[in-house]
Amino acid sequence: MQLQIKNVQCVASWYWDVPKELKRDLHEGEDEDDEDVCGICRASYNGTCPNCKLPGETCPLIVGSCHHNFHVHCIYQWLNTSTSKGLCPMCRQAFSLRDGIRINEPHKEKFEKVLMKARQQNVVSVSGVNAAGGVDQEDVMIDQEFIR
Amino acid sequence: MTTLPKRIIKETERLVSDPVPGISAEPHEDNLRYFDVSIEGPQQSAYENGVFRLELFLPDEYPMEPPKVRFLTKIYHPNIDRLGRICLDVLKTNWSPALQIRTVLLSIQALLATPNPNDPLANDVAEDWIADEDAAIAKAKHWTALYACRPPPPSPTGPSETNN
Repeated sequence: MQLQIKNVQCVASWYWDVPKELKRDLHEGEDEDDEDVCGICRASYNGTCPNCKLPGETCPLIVGSCHHNFHVHCIYQWLNTSTSKGLCPMCRQAFSLRDGIRINEPHKEKFEKVLMKARQQNVVSVSGVNAAGGVDQEDVMIDQEFIR
Repeated sequence: MTTLPKRIIKETERLVSDPVPGISAEPHEDNLRYFDVSIEGPQQSAYENGVFRLELFLPDEYPMEPPKVRFLTKIYHPNIDRLGRICLDVLKTNWSPALQIRTVLLSIQALLATPNPNDPLANDVAEDWIADEDAAIAKAKHWTALYACRPPPPSPTGPSETNN
């Protein structure tokens, strides 16, 4: 018998490389399926934020030092609101990127800036000038720039 | 109307399939961001046996911004004013996008169980509350009976659903 291969189709799968020991929130939260989801938009880590169509590098994931992970676009939008005060939405600790995580590397510089700004806003709101309020126009523009 | 974010759809589905005891929230058919809410007064509170109607609206920025919630039923409570506006940290400065409709409504239910006259929204009520707590609670009970009482239960043989 002779076999002749006429056609080969390659299939690949991928997922964000989130260290396993960081997945402690699985089953801890009160909702959701088996998959890990972004604490903000509740879509899968490997899916997209609500504003993106294509998962992957165009809609990346980041790992917080508090072990809470989010779509970059989701957490960035949150940190740009004056309500956020630079805190993680899940545990309310000051949000920062976890060191030594490969998928965080491309975002470090941008996040430094956002977190710096959020901390300044925190000082402003603590001093009682404006605690409430939403995303202002400037923040939205920065957000657009970030998405590029 | 723009499409509804998946998160809101998921939340709505779960509110219907797995409701919180003592709380119901149903979206309007013509505006899925607008919910009719009712919360039962917590047991052993001044609001026991009352059913309080509220409206809840999810702004376009939700979940980056908190839902807007207001009591429609008149209520005598130091943290709720006569327009039904609610003084609750998670609805304002302590909002987090990790919170959701159900957790917000649970917080409101908890606020009914533990009025806080030291952080008042309705100043006159808070003053009454601090001056004479027993009298204030009696008044809250009276208002509950007056404005928040269930419609009479349907006859035992009739259909179990109200037509509201």
